[in-house]
Amino acid sequence: MKAYVLGEFEREQPLYDAARALRAHGHESLDIHSPYPLHEADHALGLKRSTVPIVALVGGLAGAITGYLLQWYTVGHDWPLNVGNRPPHSAPAFIPVTFELGVLFASLAIFVGLLAGYFGFPRTHHPVFEVEAFRSASIDGLWLSAEVEGKDAEPVAQELRRFGARNVSIVPEAK
Amino acid sequence: MSTAEKTIQDAHALEGAPVLVGRPDDRALTESLLSPVLGPTRKGWLLLLFALLGGVGFWTLSLVTTLFVGIGAWGNNIPVAWAFDITNFVWWIGIGHAGTLISAILLLFQQKWRTSINRFAEAMTLFAVAMAGVYPVIHLGRPWLFWWLIPYPSTNLIWPNFKSALPWDVFAISTYATVSFLFWYLGLIPDLATLRDAAKTRGRRIVYGIMSFGWRGSARHWRHYRIGYLLLAGLSTPLVVSVHTIVSFDFAISQLPGWHTTIFPPYFVAGAIFSGFAMVLTLMIPARRLLGYQHVVTERHLDNMAKVILATGLMVFYGYMMEWFMAWYSGSASEAFAFLNRFQGPYRGIFIAQMFCNVVAPQILWFPSMRRNEYVLFLVAILVNVGMWAERFVIIAVSLHRDFIPSSWGMYYPTWVDWGLFLGSICMFGVLFLLFLRFLPAIPLFEVKELRRELEHYGDNAHPGSEEEG
Repeated sequence: MKAYVLGEFEREQPLYDAARALRAHGHESLDIHSPYPLHEADHALGLKRSTVPIVALVGGLAGAITGYLLQWYTVGHDWPLNVGNRPPHSAPAFIPVTFELGVLFASLAIFVGLLAGYFGFPRTHHPVFEVEAFRSASIDGLWLSAEVEGKDAEPVAQELRRFGARNVSIVPEAK
Repeated sequence: MSTAEKTIQDAHALEGAPVLVGRPDDRALTESLLSPVLGPTRKGWLLLLFALLGGVGFWTLSLVTTLFVGIGAWGNNIPVAWAFDITNFVWWIGIGHAGTLISAILLLFQQKWRTSINRFAEAMTLFAVAMAGVYPVIHLGRPWLFWWLIPYPSTNLIWPNFKSALPWDVFAISTYATVSFLFWYLGLIPDLATLRDAAKTRGRRIVYGIMSFGWRGSARHWRHYRIGYLLLAGLSTPLVVSVHTIVSFDFAISQLPGWHTTIFPPYFVAGAIFSGFAMVLTLMIPARRLLGYQHVVTERHLDNMAKVILATGLMVFYGYMMEWFMAWYSGSASEAFAFLNRFQGPYRGIFIAQMFCNVVAPQILWFPSMRRNEYVLFLVAILVNVGMWAERFVIIAVSLHRDFIPSSWGMYYPTWVDWGLFLGSICMFGVLFLLFLRFLPAIPLFEVKELRRELEHYGDNAHPGSEEEG
């Protein structure tokens, strides 16, 4: 059975030290929870560069291509529309819609990609929410959470206390 | 550190007011910034809400009249086929642009002072775009057929004409509204989680819990979040420029004297930012007082916004001068007449108001003491709002009422429906804004906390750039 071990830290440095120590013991399923982004947390957890820009690029290209093809097909090919004797396929006039759809698709890709893809949202029930004190994670608290095997839970909790964590709690995942 | 950075630091050191008064801890910040949301309903708020709802009634009545009677209920005619409706549309869209500028462009430029006002300005953008979107739709004449603008394979067997600026507008405005909403909501998610955790009642915890999708401040999420947010800002920046450019194409691509100029796109964008900052100030000056946000929205913010108004005001004035110059230099009699008609024609009063409000009034902001005086700033902001509305009216209706052939000249007089749609939309905007101030965090909590941490580590005048990854 898996369990979550949570601990709240007063200051940033012990938090990073604790994260590094746990990783040194082979616990990789760690997470840091804070009210605002902490750049150092990425290093402490050994996180790699985000791949969101690729998602945005793909979305943007897909949008721009859709926009251009849509205009070419509708007024250039399917029903060639003669307005002021301009050619049915007039590339310069297609730029605004191509650009707008590129931006629209890229933005949607980022938003939906972040929430559904990267974050796995909506997920309003998560083991960390079982701890009432965890409410401070979005207000002023710095929390470390570790997903470990049930038998490792107690030693990990001890380790967190050693680094000065308060409110150390163990949440069994399956209730 | 490069010399350029050093200069920037020195320039900051010369400015007195801080971007954040004191160094309140995170819990104190949360409490003070959420007090308008979590505290009891204030009497003044309710009173203002009901007063504005009265105006919304007037707006609804005008809308219903337009739907049942048709465009004939307005003062529009031939030659003045575009009047209050399109004036209001361009005015509202322009106002929206400052929100995107503050939240996106200033983010990319790493302007720390944007932090506490960006949520507020983005909300203004959303509501302004919502108000703007109403006009082109009701102006269709048969607004229930608005979906003919969307290219889908229908039994009509015909597609929108993508060589006209008007379908571009459809795409620009709908993209702008969507992206503004996504950007705003993405920024809100961590703060909605804070609200969920700070709320005392179960109902609120559930509602804000659902709205925040289960945000738990995870470092694994923040890492993607930061990049996604930055990318959205990067996308919004060219978007905002493109939207008002496309709006100006509605005019510039036609051949009407007074519309047919190449200066329109940049001049419209500058005007949009000019009017939008004026609207941010109009809303922010009372709101920061009433809601007790003076420690996060300081004199520094007002001063900076005043400077943007001054700068964009001068750009707009340059646009005016270019228009006059081209009217003369083109040698086109119709073009020259269109501009003389603005000075001397029947609508010259509106033109004079435009010049006074947009060109003369902002010049007082050259004086630092005036930029920090809330009353002067508020007055200038109101005048700029009026002036920019007048500018759009002068461009649109005044250019139309006398074009090429004197036999087809006419006059435009607004009806009560026109006034209802205009003034009522301001009330509706106000209602939306009041609801926003009551139910959502108007100051971005997580960004202010991040700013506080940054200021603690690096001081008020430090350059945050070194910490940011490439």
